[in-house]
Amino acid sequence: MKNWFTLLCLAAVALAPGCRPSRQDQSGPPPSGQQLTVGVAFETLQTEFWVAALAAFKDELGQRNIKMLEAIADGDANRQIEQVKNFITRKVDGIVLVPKDAKACLPIIKAANAANIPIVLFNRPPEKSDARSVAVVADNFSLTRETVAYLVSAARKTGAKHKALIVIGDLGDVNAIGRRDGFDAAVQEAGDLIEVVARVPSEWNQEKAQAGVVNALQANPDISFLFTSSDFLFPSIVSALKTAGKYKKTGEPGHVILGGFDGDATAYQMLVEGYLDATGVQDVYFEVAASVQAILDARAGKPVADTIRDPGFVIHQGNLKEKARRMWGAQVKK
Amino acid sequence: MPTSSRLIRVDHEPRTTNRFVRWLLSEYLVLWLSALYFLVLAPFTAGFASPENLTNILATLLPLFVVATGQTVVLITGGIDLSISSIMALASVGGAMVMNGDNGWLANHPLAVPAGVAVMLLLGALVGLLNGAAVTLFRMPPFIVTLTSMMFFSGLAIWLTKSKTIYHLPAAFNALGGRIAIAFGITAILGVVTHVMLGRSLFGRWLYAVGQNPKAARSSGVPVGGVVVAAYVASGLLAALASALYTGQAETGSPVLGQRLLLDIIGATVIGGTSLFGGRGKVLWTLFGVLFIKLIDNSLNLLNLSLFAITMVKGGVILLAALIDAVRTRVLTGRR
Repeated sequence: MKNWFTLLCLAAVALAPGCRPSRQDQSGPPPSGQQLTVGVAFETLQTEFWVAALAAFKDELGQRNIKMLEAIADGDANRQIEQVKNFITRKVDGIVLVPKDAKACLPIIKAANAANIPIVLFNRPPEKSDARSVAVVADNFSLTRETVAYLVSAARKTGAKHKALIVIGDLGDVNAIGRRDGFDAAVQEAGDLIEVVARVPSEWNQEKAQAGVVNALQANPDISFLFTSSDFLFPSIVSALKTAGKYKKTGEPGHVILGGFDGDATAYQMLVEGYLDATGVQDVYFEVAASVQAILDARAGKPVADTIRDPGFVIHQGNLKEKARRMWGAQVKK
Repeated sequence: MPTSSRLIRVDHEPRTTNRFVRWLLSEYLVLWLSALYFLVLAPFTAGFASPENLTNILATLLPLFVVATGQTVVLITGGIDLSISSIMALASVGGAMVMNGDNGWLANHPLAVPAGVAVMLLLGALVGLLNGAAVTLFRMPPFIVTLTSMMFFSGLAIWLTKSKTIYHLPAAFNALGGRIAIAFGITAILGVVTHVMLGRSLFGRWLYAVGQNPKAARSSGVPVGGVVVAAYVASGLLAALASALYTGQAETGSPVLGQRLLLDIIGATVIGGTSLFGGRGKVLWTLFGVLFIKLIDNSLNLLNLSLFAITMVKGGVILLAALIDAVRTRVLTGRR
C-alpha cells in the first residue's frame, strides 16, 4: 500500500515538470509579446481525418510559437463541456472546438463568449443561435459538385450511359447534406448521361454502407458510377465491389467510375493504384491555418466572418503528383 | 422477517491492531488519497486549485455521484447494473421528446418540465424493474441481464430519435443541471436520503443481508426477490435523475448520453470501497470514489495528457482499486 502512495507521488512529480503553468495562467490574458495559449478540443480521434487535423494544429501552433492545450472528449458531449471549461479556467487566449454535434456545443460557445475568449468551430458548424463563434468548414456542396462533375466528364469519355449509386452520410450532419446536394446538382446537369438508381444511407457506418452497396449492386448489376460521401467508407465499398466482381482499375473493362470526398489515406492509395477516379479533398492545412488566424484576428479586434469556407480541391490521377503534397491522406500515408 | 434487523450487523469498522490493515480497511482511505493527490498535484498543475476549476469539478461530480449512488445500491446486493448508461440515454431523449420547444408533446406548456422529468424517472424505474424482475424471477446473471438491456435500450434511444439530438429544452429544465446550486441541492438531498436508507432503515439492512449471503437472508425472513428488484429500480431512478442533470448541462437530449460513462461510474463506486462481491458499500464511500476519479480526470486534462494516456491511467487506478477490494474482502472474510 505504501507503494501505491509512492507511485502516486512519483507519478505526480514526474508529470509535473512539463506541465508548469505558463505565466498567463495566473495573470489573465497575456500582454503583447508573451506566448499565447490555444485550447484545442476535439470530439473524437476515431478516424484518420481527425488525427491528421490534430497533428496539423500542433504543427501550425508550434510554428507560430503558440502553446497548445489539447482535450479529446471521446464522443461525450458533457465531457467536452467540462474540458472547455477547463480551458476557460486556464484563461486560454482562444479555443478551437470540434463539437460532438451542432446543438450540444451551444452551451460551450456561450461559456467561451461569457469569458470573452474567441472560439472557432473546426469542420462542423453550430446550430443557428445567438452564441458567437467562427466556423471553418469545407464547402461541401461546391467541392462535391466539382468532384462529381469530373467523374461525369470521365463517364462522358466512355461514350456510354451510366447508372449511378451514391452512398449518403448521416443526414443529421450538415456536411452529409451538403455533399448529397452537390452530387445531385452535378448529376442533374448530366441527365442525358447519368441515371441515379440507388441511394444508400450509411449514417456514417461501415457495416450499413457495405450492406447497402451489396444490395444495390444485386438489384442493379449494371451500376457503373459510384460516389461515396466520405472516403472512410471505401473499405466497405471496395469489399462490396469485389464481391460483385466489379473492382477494376481505370481503363479496364467493367471499371466502375469511382469518386469520394475527404482525401484520406485509403483514397490516396486507391488513386495511386488506379482504382479511384477522383476525390474531393478537404484542405486540412488551409482549415487549420484559417482557424488559428481567426483566433488571432479576433484577439486583435479585426473583423472575422462567421463562416470561413475551405474551397478544397479535386484530386485525380491527372494531377496526383502536383496536388498530393496538399492531400492530408497522402501525408498520413508517409 | 421482524428479527432480520437484529440478525444482520452492518459494520464496516476494522477491528485490528495492525496499523497497515487498519489503514487498508479504513473507510476514509480514498478520501485521504484524494486529499494527498490534490495536495501533491496542485502546485504543479496550472489552474487545478483555482476556485473556477473547483467549481467545474463540483459541477461534473454531482451527476456522476447520483448515478454511482444507484450503482452502489445494486452492488451492495451482489449484483451489477451495466444498463445505467442506456437508461440515461433513454431518459434523456424521452424527457426531451416531451419538453422540447420545437415539436415536444408538451412544447411550451406550463407542465412541460414536471411532466418531462416524470417521464424520465418513469423510464428509469421501468427499465430497473425489468432488470430486477429478470434477475429475480428467471435467476439470470445480473451481468447478462443488464448488458443485454443496455444494448436494447441504447438502440431504442437511437431509434426513437433517428440518431438526432433534441434541442430547445425549457430553461427551467436546463437549470437543473446547468445551475450548480440547484444541482447541488438535488444531489445533497438524494445523497442524504440514500445514506440514511442504507444505514438506518430496515430496507438498508436487507440490502446488505442479501449481498452478504442471500440464502441466510432468505432463511432470516428477508424478501430477497423484492429487495433485489427494489435495488434495480432505485438504480434506474437515480440513473434517470443523473440523466436530467447531464441533459440540463448540455441543454440537449442525446441518444448517446452516458455511452462512455460506464467505466467512470463503476470505477468510482469500486474505488470508493463498495465491494464487487456484494454486502459492503456506503454512499459516503461512493462520494469519495467519485471525488477521486474526478480529481484524476480533471488533473490529467489540465496536465494536457492525451486521451490515450488519461484512459490508461484511469484504467490502471480502477484495476488497482479492484485489487484492493479483493484484498480487503479476503482480510474481512478471513476474520469473520
